[in-house]
Amino acid sequence: MVDRNKLRETAKEIISREDVRELIGYRAGTYGFRARPAFVYDPGEVDQLIFTPACVNNLATYITLEEKLPVPRGQEPDLRKVAVMVKGCDSRALIQQMAENAYDRDRILVIGIPCTGVVDMDKVQARFPDVLGPGEIAQEGDKFVLIYDGRREEVPREELLADKCRRCRYPTPLVYDVLLDEEVAPFASDDYSDVEALEARSQDEKWAYWEEKFSRCIRCYSCRNVCPMCYCNDCILDRLRPQWIRRSVDISENTVFHVARAYHLAGRCIQCGECQRVCPVEIPLMELNRKLYKDVEELYDFEPGVKVDAPPLLSSYRPDDPEDFIL
Amino acid sequence: MAAKKLSKEKVGEVLQELSKFRLITPVKSDDVVIFREIADPQEAFLDYGNSTVPPKKVVFPQTETLFRFTLGNPELREKNVEEEGTTVIFGLRPCDARAMSIVDKLFSWDFEDPYYLKRRELTTLVGMACVQPPSINCFCTSLGGSPFGKEGLDVLLVDMGDHYLFQSLTEKGGRLEEMLSSYLEEAPAGEEEKASSMEEEAKAKIIRSIDPQGIPEKLPSLWEHPLWKRVSDSCLGCGICTYLCPTCHCFDVQDEVERGEGRRARMWDSCMFCEYTLHASGHNPRPTRKERTRNRISHKYSYYPKRFDVIACVGCGRCINLCPVNIDILEILEQVVEA
Amino acid sequence: MTEATQTDFQPNIVAFLCNWCSYAGADLAGTSRTQYPSNVRVIRVMCSGRVNPMFVVNALQEGADGVLVSGCHPGDCHYMQGNYYARRRFKLMRNFLEYLGIEPERFRMSWVSASEGAKWKEVIEEVVEGVKAVGPMNKFKRRQLNW
Repeated sequence: MVDRNKLRETAKEIISREDVRELIGYRAGTYGFRARPAFVYDPGEVDQLIFTPACVNNLATYITLEEKLPVPRGQEPDLRKVAVMVKGCDSRALIQQMAENAYDRDRILVIGIPCTGVVDMDKVQARFPDVLGPGEIAQEGDKFVLIYDGRREEVPREELLADKCRRCRYPTPLVYDVLLDEEVAPFASDDYSDVEALEARSQDEKWAYWEEKFSRCIRCYSCRNVCPMCYCNDCILDRLRPQWIRRSVDISENTVFHVARAYHLAGRCIQCGECQRVCPVEIPLMELNRKLYKDVEELYDFEPGVKVDAPPLLSSYRPDDPEDFIL
Repeated sequence: MAAKKLSKEKVGEVLQELSKFRLITPVKSDDVVIFREIADPQEAFLDYGNSTVPPKKVVFPQTETLFRFTLGNPELREKNVEEEGTTVIFGLRPCDARAMSIVDKLFSWDFEDPYYLKRRELTTLVGMACVQPPSINCFCTSLGGSPFGKEGLDVLLVDMGDHYLFQSLTEKGGRLEEMLSSYLEEAPAGEEEKASSMEEEAKAKIIRSIDPQGIPEKLPSLWEHPLWKRVSDSCLGCGICTYLCPTCHCFDVQDEVERGEGRRARMWDSCMFCEYTLHASGHNPRPTRKERTRNRISHKYSYYPKRFDVIACVGCGRCINLCPVNIDILEILEQVVEA
Repeated sequence: MTEATQTDFQPNIVAFLCNWCSYAGADLAGTSRTQYPSNVRVIRVMCSGRVNPMFVVNALQEGADGVLVSGCHPGDCHYMQGNYYARRRFKLMRNFLEYLGIEPERFRMSWVSASEGAKWKEVIEEVVEGVKAVGPMNKFKRRQLNW
């Protein structure tokens, strides 16, 4: 368990440094048991920072999300570091971003948080729909403890744990400048059973499945915006010349949207699961990304977000790559 | 008109009767509640909180054709909305209906939008009162609405247990009541009073609130206030809050051409997208999420009320519930009040 | 001409051929007066590595019933590695489309060299037969749905 005082002290030290511009962490949300991102610019603001199993957001996305406006003549760009708190899964996003040369290592200061799992906030809210809060979640052994309005409820961890945590292989950040807690040994493995279950169905069943899901899509672009790996300035999903995907919303455009996005993440998606979490109409986006992830691992023995110097998947090849499908 | 009683057992038959029109009800797609046209009354899911996507989608479709054309031919074939026929939305919440009344003002202002207005004319709204507020983040009462609100509805249904109280509120509602008269019975004595006290109970269950008094006037003075950067730092710039908002109504217009045939289509747009005010020159007067957040709040709580005397928000709480990073409009407004 | 299926369905197949090998091979089939199905529309690109996988998706969306990408044999690419990159990209894209329910017969890839006019005929026959068997592409075709 991350010690809150240590977290705040570390943050205070870091944000007090002259070469650090801002610190991105977590703070309590505005209702229920939610937690949300916190942006700290001043040592006086560190007391809002927390880390609990409610801290589901992947903060690595903010490194590439931040708008870089043209600097007025005579001014220098602010090149100070951005400090960011990352769990194990989030840290892989940083590594993959750096592997792609999105920015240099010295532009960020990584505060690593070994993570024992976060909650699925939908399940929490379904369980406690009437709690305005503020409510807090803590983990004690194999239970989540939910504290609100002076009450304390214990729920078995299994019942609230986020699906992605059940197959997490990297609970401890793979890159960090400071680690806030003891390393956590991997406690789960991934057998891709969800992908395999879908692979086993007939072509018509698969299409019926995806057609129902893609028909719900409202093209809010939240999946694309929250994704730490989606940071192209001229995203294919937005382009007008050429226009790959029309702005109109129907099964054809929605399908191509998701195909394009998932495919552009082949060998880059680091499985943080944020896209699926944010989708307002509950499209199982991880089932799409994990198919490519599994294929990439099986076919090319490649895992993104693990080594900073790994050559990107689709800019490399081996002479003996599989070609059983080629006539 | 006096309220009537609609037994829950008869609802299936009523929906069957209504399915001769374009009948739209809440349905479940996996675990997500959306509004969709139904053919089979069994599909209707009426025991719900509130839908994820608001029913504004019915009168203001996410994508609609304005006119069609053939390349090389100057004739424009305007879309005839009448072809969609009479539509009944059965089971929407009062906030969503009130939202439509709010948006009506814009679409009938300096340009009377024929598509939107014709659809509104063809649509009958049968509402379902909120005996319980659907979510902890509902705040309709702060903005002049109510869980049993009648504004914008043609008929209001109140769930009394084994039956609904059926109150027709407008001429359209009256015509519907007549059409369904064989399924309706006399309401038991005292039902309307009972419904009134249920309304008070429901209102009392709404916890979150904001006093909007003075906010429209104050907002322009906060143009340079640091609160905007603070509240928008975590914003992802997606379209969830705008697309799920029953009062948001921005749209883009694009031409689509395929092998000589084309259409001009209108589709939802979001002021939170970075390309919303992107000029062809590359200049963007709202370059970051800070400007766009400031614009969104100011539009809903200042510019719209100044022009139309009503705040463009009904307190349905969808934006709060579904924002991925927990940006909370009530928190923003509290900061505006305190600023 | 193989007896495919008892249907009048004539598929529309879009083929991206690399200039140096496959296009030349297809050309050879032509000058040799080889008879083969005429369902294929050829788009010449300089290298199979130039083909963006989104072209395949776009072609299917625009109404192609099948797509073929053909390039030089591994080791023979005029630009050294283009076809190696293509091999990786299209393996992933084909698997992914299959996962969505798009029949794998709709997207094929081949290595056809400049001297393989005969192979070109066989490739086309196999591709056309495969697409005929799965029928017209409808799943995410642009169909002017709500026009």
